[in-house]
Amino acid sequence: MLVLTRAVNEAIMIGDGIEITVVGVKGDKVRIGIRAPQSVAVHRKEVYEAIQQANVEAARTAPSDLPTLPDLSRIIPPPSAPPGGAGTKE
Amino acid sequence: MKITTTRFGEVEVSGESTYAFPEGILGFGDIRSFVLLDHPRGGPFRWLQAIEVPALAFVVTDPAIFFPSYRVAVRAEDVSSIRLEDIRGGFVLVILTVNRETSGITANLQGPLVFNPAGRLAKQVVLADREYTTRHPLVPVQKP
Repeated sequence: MLVLTRAVNEAIMIGDGIEITVVGVKGDKVRIGIRAPQSVAVHRKEVYEAIQQANVEAARTAPSDLPTLPDLSRIIPPPSAPPGGAGTKE
Repeated sequence: MKITTTRFGEVEVSGESTYAFPEGILGFGDIRSFVLLDHPRGGPFRWLQAIEVPALAFVVTDPAIFFPSYRVAVRAEDVSSIRLEDIRGGFVLVILTVNRETSGITANLQGPLVFNPAGRLAKQVVLADREYTTRHPLVPVQKP
């Protein structure tokens, strides 16, 4: 891993499009500013890993794993319209 | 268009149910094209099936059915890549996971899928809100 020392308000460029600035340091916490193209997703690593792991686990589901309609009707009211249609959701 | 799927065999899909995920889905980087399929046995479930990868599919549902108070707070820049200028033109689905040992179903409310049906674009948004996690048990909605 490349390790660089930077002071507050100093920055690092990654390629042409990504700029990382040390915004502030307080105790053992560092505030970091990130400027990146829209096509680059920026996430906290622990959140990124949680979502990634959840996606990988979710992709293992088989249709037969899901409850059947009689089972479902006991836990949810019958939908009044086809679910997940093109309607507007918040 | 006909696509091949591991779970459902050959499926005829229409263009209006296909979505491009310009940023992909975390963990499945290069896969960009998906289609929403109805669950063969009906109910509140649908499948987000990868068009070019027969084995890749996720069970999804409308979170409003199970989590009426759930709200996805997105900033304009979160959804600019799917050209969703007016959030009211979009809709949200969440990915479900079934635990085979307990048959318990959980919903990923931290990484909802936001769809722009007019643009046929979608993305998995990662919510900064720590109120939501990747595993919310599907709580039955009580009848009033």
